[in-house]
Amino acid sequence: MPPFLQFLIRRIFAMFVSLVVITMVLYAGVMLTPPEARARLYVPPGKSGDHTASDAFINSLIRQYHLDEPYLVQYGYWAKSLLTGKWGYSPTLRGDVLSELLRRTPATLELSLYSLLLLIPLGLASGLVAGWRPNRWFDGLFRGTAFFGTSMPPFILSMILISVFYVNLGWLAPGRVDVTTDLLMTRIGFVDYTGFLTLDSLLNGRVDIFLIALRHLAMPVFTLSIFHWATLGRITRATVIGQRNKEYIIAARARGVNERALLWRHALRAILAPSLTAIALSAASVVTSIFVVEIIFGLTGVSQVIVISMSGYPDAPAALGFAVYSVLMVIGLMFLLDTIQAVLDPRVRDEVFKT
Amino acid sequence: MRRLRIFLSHWQNWLGMIIVLVFAVTALTAPLLSPPNDTTQGAFKKVGRQGDLKPHPPSEIAPLGTVPGQLDVYHALIWGGREAMIFGLSVALGAFMFGSLFGAIAGYAGGVVNNVMMRIADAFLTFPALAGVVFLQQLVAITIESQGGIFWFNNDYIGRLVYFDFTPPPFAVFLMAVDPILISLIIFSWMPFARIVNTMVITLKQTEFIQAGRALGGTPWWIIRRHLLPNSIGPAVVLAARDVGSSVILQATITFIGLGGASAWGILLSLGRNWVIGPGGNLLSAWWVFLPVTIAIVLFGIGWNLIGDGLTEALDPTATLHKWDRPDAS
Repeated sequence: MPPFLQFLIRRIFAMFVSLVVITMVLYAGVMLTPPEARARLYVPPGKSGDHTASDAFINSLIRQYHLDEPYLVQYGYWAKSLLTGKWGYSPTLRGDVLSELLRRTPATLELSLYSLLLLIPLGLASGLVAGWRPNRWFDGLFRGTAFFGTSMPPFILSMILISVFYVNLGWLAPGRVDVTTDLLMTRIGFVDYTGFLTLDSLLNGRVDIFLIALRHLAMPVFTLSIFHWATLGRITRATVIGQRNKEYIIAARARGVNERALLWRHALRAILAPSLTAIALSAASVVTSIFVVEIIFGLTGVSQVIVISMSGYPDAPAALGFAVYSVLMVIGLMFLLDTIQAVLDPRVRDEVFKT
Repeated sequence: MRRLRIFLSHWQNWLGMIIVLVFAVTALTAPLLSPPNDTTQGAFKKVGRQGDLKPHPPSEIAPLGTVPGQLDVYHALIWGGREAMIFGLSVALGAFMFGSLFGAIAGYAGGVVNNVMMRIADAFLTFPALAGVVFLQQLVAITIESQGGIFWFNNDYIGRLVYFDFTPPPFAVFLMAVDPILISLIIFSWMPFARIVNTMVITLKQTEFIQAGRALGGTPWWIIRRHLLPNSIGPAVVLAARDVGSSVILQATITFIGLGGASAWGILLSLGRNWVIGPGGNLLSAWWVFLPVTIAIVLFGIGWNLIGDGLTEALDPTATLHKWDRPDAS
């Protein structure tokens, strides 16, 4: 078996264990509520589970979904329904939780992908250059900007950005598309190939819609990137400072390797692992800020599900489904970063190829 | 005392301590700085007609102006700071206590128990706090409804409405009294504490003084409490300092986006969000609706972060007073 495949299988197994543990914890949370409350997770469409529901109806739900059995049995039934795609019916969204989540996924993926593609290379590069020669002018500039980036809470930054660039100047816009563009798209028979508006518009051969999509994405991508760019850059900088006087750098310099190659070939590889691990460990907070930015800028991504579920009567199925879905997103992000690291970092790669 | 000298030799740490001290003093003296009256509700004081939706500039009755709805910015700033300080310290303390204890017990037990317990801690790292906040609130909601109450989420910053047409059962009263945001932020921030204390305890376990404690016939609990915890919580304190700032910012964020919570600063910002650009397209024509509270939130985060960074550096055994070559301290 190829070593890289072995690495992938090991990572996937570890991810699966994490997923089982966290869903068990989630269901343990559900188990803290009385069975009558848990029955709310299984109320079918068109029925209500609140105080108007009859005891007989609630009891029939409890019996049908084994809600009075021991924890592990119940967890088993719930896990089975998760795997078979029965994530429950959400009364506030008026739809099946899983399909409502899936429908909104491309918008979230589009935002996260552009932000990560922007922030990871920029964070690594700027941290590297700043840490290579600490206390020079670039380092000062970097530290100032990074300090601003980590101190400014994203929600305040986005509020100010909306006010300046949308309300006042009108250059950029919140939301996914405006109403006129939406109408235009319906009229010209816009085809959704990927669900990514930027890609689809190019595939449809409409540069004007592509520009509109960029106009709507600019602010959320910037807000999301600057915060995590600053965090990543500061970690990278601290690592480079620890590495730049190591023996392997001095040896390479003595061999006559020029400074540029030292920095971009030798040092870069050494700092990849710690920097990407740091991002992977904070993947949950990255996903949280993706949701926050989505909500503030009115992008209709997956976070719309919780916004709707929190705007009226209780909707536990949506919240539970969203929790499972966001855990899947975090695990996916961690896996992606681990794989990038394994492909790029010679030490991880060698370890992979040895086994 | 060398560590203390390193800590005090950096001006950033002094700045952090001064900022936190100012917030602590205003929190303690809030009743003197801005006395509540009979229109006060929580951190908000009404100083005009509620229907008046135009923010008014600073005046005699409202030293920092008002936001739409005629709520006094100055009052909300002071009392919101008090609430933020209490909230942040509670989250940090709760996460610190639970996490350290969890990590210490796992480390002391060692072997399979340690592995299983730390895997659970790792699994919590895959959970975004925002999903947890919503999930916990929904669980509280369905539990209250199963007790016969009527629950309604309100995303226009009132929070939630709970109604019982009979005397609420004690369980429901208890559920209504606890802050779900506080609980969920503790649940989603204890893992780093557990990890750090766990590593320390595993190293310490092999040392002579712990062996001696065991030879003296000390119970596991006594050894953990008396010897392991006090010797391993140093690095965890650093994390706690950062947690105070970040949890307050997260609470304000959650309130601002309308997903629950009662951060006065968050409510203040969301009430003024349409007035950031004042009439005439001037960013500063109604500065009082967002500038004071923005500065307060940002400074609160910076203050605690500076202290956290400074402590990390001072506790680092390789740290020196020399300025060159030191990791990022800003």
